[in-house]
Amino acid sequence: MPRQDDGAPDTTGLTARLMQAAVSALEQRQPIEALPSLDRLRLLPGQSGIAAALRAEALLALGRSAEADGAAAEALEANPGDAARLELRARAHWACGRSLEALDMAAAAVIAAPQDIAALLLFAALLGEERRHEDAVSVLQDALRRRPGEPQVLLRLGIALTRAGRHDEAADVLGRCAAAAPQLPGLAVARAQAALARRDMAEAIAIARAGLDQAGGDAALYSVLAHALEAAGRRDEAWPAFRAASRLAPEDPYLAHLAAVADGIATERASAGYVESIFDGYADSFEASLIRLGYRVPGLVRRAVERHRPDGAPLGSVLDLGCGTGLVGVALHDLLGVALHDLLGASLVGVDLSRRMLDEARAKGIYTALLQQDLLAALEDGPGSFDLVCAADVFCYLGRLDAALALCARCLAADGLLIFSVERGQDGAAFQLHRQGRYAHAPDLVRADLAAAGLAPLEIREEALRLDFGRPVEGLFVVARHAG
Amino acid sequence: MQDQLREAIAALERRDPGAAIPLLQDAARRDAGDGFAWLNLGLALSQTGRLAEAEGALCHAADALPDRAEPLVYGGQVAGMRGDAVAARTRFEAALARDPRQVLALAGLAALCEGEGDLAEAARLIEAARALDPDEPELHAWSARVAQRRGAPATALREAERSLAANPCSVEAAKAAARALLALKGEADATRHVAQAAARDPFSVAWPLVGAALRAMLGDLSGAIAELRAAEALAPDSADIQAELGLALAAAGQAAAAEAALRAALRQRPNDLALRNRLATLLWKAHRVSEATALLDATLAELGPDAVPLMNLALLRNLEGRQEEALATAEQAAALTGGSRDALVTRLCVLPYHPEGGAAALRDAAVAAAARYPQPVALAPRGMRDPDRRLRIGLLSGNLCCHPVGWLTIAGIEALPDSAFELAAYSLRQRADPISRRFRARCATWREMGAADEVAIAQAIADDGIDILIDLGGYGEGGCPAVVARRAAPVQVKWVGSQSATTGLAAMDWMLTDRWETPPGCEALYTERLLRLPDGYVCYAPPPNAPEVTRLPMLRNGHVTFGCFNNLAKVTRPVLAAWARILRAVPDARLVLRTHALGDAAIRDALRNRLHAAGIEPGRVALHGGVPHRELLAAYGEIDIALDPFPYAGGLTVCEALWMGVPVVSLFGDGFAARHGLSHLSNAGLGDWAAGEVDAYVRLAVGRAADAARLAVLRSGLRERVAASPLCDSARFGRSLGSVLRFAWKEHCSTQH
Repeated sequence: MPRQDDGAPDTTGLTARLMQAAVSALEQRQPIEALPSLDRLRLLPGQSGIAAALRAEALLALGRSAEADGAAAEALEANPGDAARLELRARAHWACGRSLEALDMAAAAVIAAPQDIAALLLFAALLGEERRHEDAVSVLQDALRRRPGEPQVLLRLGIALTRAGRHDEAADVLGRCAAAAPQLPGLAVARAQAALARRDMAEAIAIARAGLDQAGGDAALYSVLAHALEAAGRRDEAWPAFRAASRLAPEDPYLAHLAAVADGIATERASAGYVESIFDGYADSFEASLIRLGYRVPGLVRRAVERHRPDGAPLGSVLDLGCGTGLVGVALHDLLGVALHDLLGASLVGVDLSRRMLDEARAKGIYTALLQQDLLAALEDGPGSFDLVCAADVFCYLGRLDAALALCARCLAADGLLIFSVERGQDGAAFQLHRQGRYAHAPDLVRADLAAAGLAPLEIREEALRLDFGRPVEGLFVVARHAG
Repeated sequence: MQDQLREAIAALERRDPGAAIPLLQDAARRDAGDGFAWLNLGLALSQTGRLAEAEGALCHAADALPDRAEPLVYGGQVAGMRGDAVAARTRFEAALARDPRQVLALAGLAALCEGEGDLAEAARLIEAARALDPDEPELHAWSARVAQRRGAPATALREAERSLAANPCSVEAAKAAARALLALKGEADATRHVAQAAARDPFSVAWPLVGAALRAMLGDLSGAIAELRAAEALAPDSADIQAELGLALAAAGQAAAAEAALRAALRQRPNDLALRNRLATLLWKAHRVSEATALLDATLAELGPDAVPLMNLALLRNLEGRQEEALATAEQAAALTGGSRDALVTRLCVLPYHPEGGAAALRDAAVAAAARYPQPVALAPRGMRDPDRRLRIGLLSGNLCCHPVGWLTIAGIEALPDSAFELAAYSLRQRADPISRRFRARCATWREMGAADEVAIAQAIADDGIDILIDLGGYGEGGCPAVVARRAAPVQVKWVGSQSATTGLAAMDWMLTDRWETPPGCEALYTERLLRLPDGYVCYAPPPNAPEVTRLPMLRNGHVTFGCFNNLAKVTRPVLAAWARILRAVPDARLVLRTHALGDAAIRDALRNRLHAAGIEPGRVALHGGVPHRELLAAYGEIDIALDPFPYAGGLTVCEALWMGVPVVSLFGDGFAARHGLSHLSNAGLGDWAAGEVDAYVRLAVGRAADAARLAVLRSGLRERVAASPLCDSARFGRSLGSVLRFAWKEHCSTQH
């Protein structure tokens, strides 16, 4: 580097040049091009904080969340009360999936700079992430008072109102947004989703199609179009839209699974990402919708336990695979022997992929442990030996059952019970992926897989599991224990 | 007199050769300084890029200073820069005969040897030079490069590091170090090695340069630019770094930043041919055509003839509407290179704008170019020859986006039955616009292949089990004919995308066409078999936001306005002659031309001269530059009748005019590009707007312009008529495309057992 006569680095010019290189790379939306300059800028006197902040921005833009979080922490440490850095740290937390910490940090940013619209929008987005839609609405209404008519604020407010179920207000706000900025990115999706949420399928379809005509192709628009078509009973038109959505967003597991269903591709199981995202999306209304759908499996589980534990002895330890919001726990918890819980080492362990589902289950206060994990991974980790392993309406997301059943057998105490349900397919047809995105299993395959896992069925009953579009879903309800 | 010479030498010492030149010219004319005036004049001229004059001055100096080696050394260097290897060698050898200790002469000879592939002799000469000048870092860098080429990476790394220690800004040494590290350690360890070295010595410019070279070698262009930006901040005055950064930014499409860096580098290195050429292509892409042409003209004048600038100049002159000069320049490049592949392709790209030879000449030129491509190779076992199974269709193009290729194919491709055809795209250039998203939504597989070479692309297509490959790029910028030549798929079809004539490629099985483009009897003009669709060979996707059709402007203006929105390459001398006849026959008529090149004042002036020479009063013709697409469509609001150019007819331009309610008078010839207008007009039910010879074309334009009432009726219903015609009927087109592709596949299944 250039040196001054006394041998000290000539840092003024160099600082300015490195800063210029990094900032212009970020402005040109070439974040990767900023990094080597920032590596050097941070070593110059007094530059470490700003270099860390710029580095965090670049890394966030590159999707390198963990590194961005480290840099954002360093930037905030250098200037603790600064609103922009609080906001930066909030975004980094969020990118790392820590939305609660992000929310706190965003709140601090809003307090530090109450006039900062970007901070308010971030705060509102995080409230939405935490399903606090009414709070998000309040924050956005506040932002709108500060910036009347600002299209971006109207858009976010419309989305929050939709999520809060305030459909008429949402339609009004999104209409104002459309009048002010008809081409605003994300507006067509928000308007179509609002129509879908108020069950106006024709409107949702029309908005999505018009948006696609303008944009040429957009994963979110195709996705909402597909859902609206599906909800309108126009399945043959829905599948190409699911396929198009997935092709435009190949990294989205939810769309990938639905596209695979559309293509009739016989995947061996639904991806963890798909299951997680659908149940995260359902968590608020999951129980209500299951009850509306006549969901009977938790009750079937309870009755099966009563049949096979006639002496009324405490249940001991229970592993609830795919526990969801904890409906099986609710059905069983008085059989666990609450008073004896600790003394006897009795426990109720729930496993689910969806954090939001687990939050709901945790709120019930009956599980001793809740693991956010794929069920096969949880079983492989050897969570212990259980008196009851229960898989209520979860094997429908697996095609092949052999590995899952073998792992269940491994976790089952010597006289433990395995109880599970599957959707019933045709004998000889192994497993088939249905257009709803779930698998059906042939009874003969279930028997063969049980035998291969060293399990013997105590009963295999044909049961209607729930209603789908008003028609019962035929299932198999299985109770098994170790053979011999 | 001596004062004048002293003053000139002082100017040279303060790096102001421009100021020295007139003083030295004066001194040399007076024969002052015993030949040193000539020597210094030669140096000054070469430093300002005036190589031809420099060479003359240095010859004078060599004669006037018979005991000095320098005039011969510099003369050899200038000859080398001008591409004259024979003269360069002769002068270097003569210089060494005068003074065997001339390092620069040894280096010059070494460069010639390396260029000819004689690496052992090059290494010997470099060693000899280093023995005389052991501290020159460029000699170490060079030694490293030659060692690497001779397969000695450890030696190369040692030499490169030695060079970088002495001159950390040496891009040459950094490249040699990166190449050696990669050979010695592999990708991961080499990357780690550079990162660790940079962390130890963060303010040394050497390591970001080595890192940049390494990233570039690994195909990571943005990683390379990132390192170069840091290097630039550390050493802002290095021409080497500016040049490297400029080239990388240009490759990444960051045009404005690239131009700034290239110009900064050229200020210090005015004689760098590659930099000048790259700057010219950047200007060209920004539609600054006359600036680009001027730069290349100067480059060729100063540095002597060279194939790459000649080829670019040929294409640029074509765009300026200087078709004859374009073809002559392309021929010059072909002659200079002994008929290289690129030169023959350039000639092929210029030739469709020349009516003289017709389609037979185009076929011969295509066959000659195609002969320079690789022969088909066996890439992979092929999929089952089941005539009825679902087929995998590959699309090969750099223009799967808002481009004529996109507008004319996407609607049909979307309508291709999904149950029978799975689609895979091999995109040669990354694009993100509404049409590119439509392609993505339809293609089950999407591969960005821009960074891959032709071998890798062909292999990817074969590995994906593509049954039918559709070429949507041809010999144009958006194509990669070598992939087709290698036979990437068992059935290969040419469709839109520089589809101006036969490809001449033995491995191109079919040409997707129609009965108007290729009527029965024209088979001999194509090396492909003709795969005729029942309607037109394209399906136009009208833009969703097109402005409304206006009322016939003639009714308002009281005179007819003809228009042509095609590029100037299509506006040939015979076109201007025909337009002159039309304008003479319709004395109050006006003509509007609109295209990107006309945004350039110099090109507008040149066209006005051509119009005048053709007998067209320039005052009757409005010349407009390019505008955004929606405004271009809106500009048809001022046009009553469009005049199609020839022999290269409008394609998308015809469809857009019709969509905007403007009928097109077209003249068809015998070649493919000469019949686009006929095809689209016939497909839309307007076949009677196309003529087979110039007299009929002129009569059509004059006659239709005379009937305002009929024109007004036609205009008001034209968009609906076109929308309802097969030209825009995507469902019908999708079915037809599916059946001809199935036919081609069945032919394959039945004939190749």
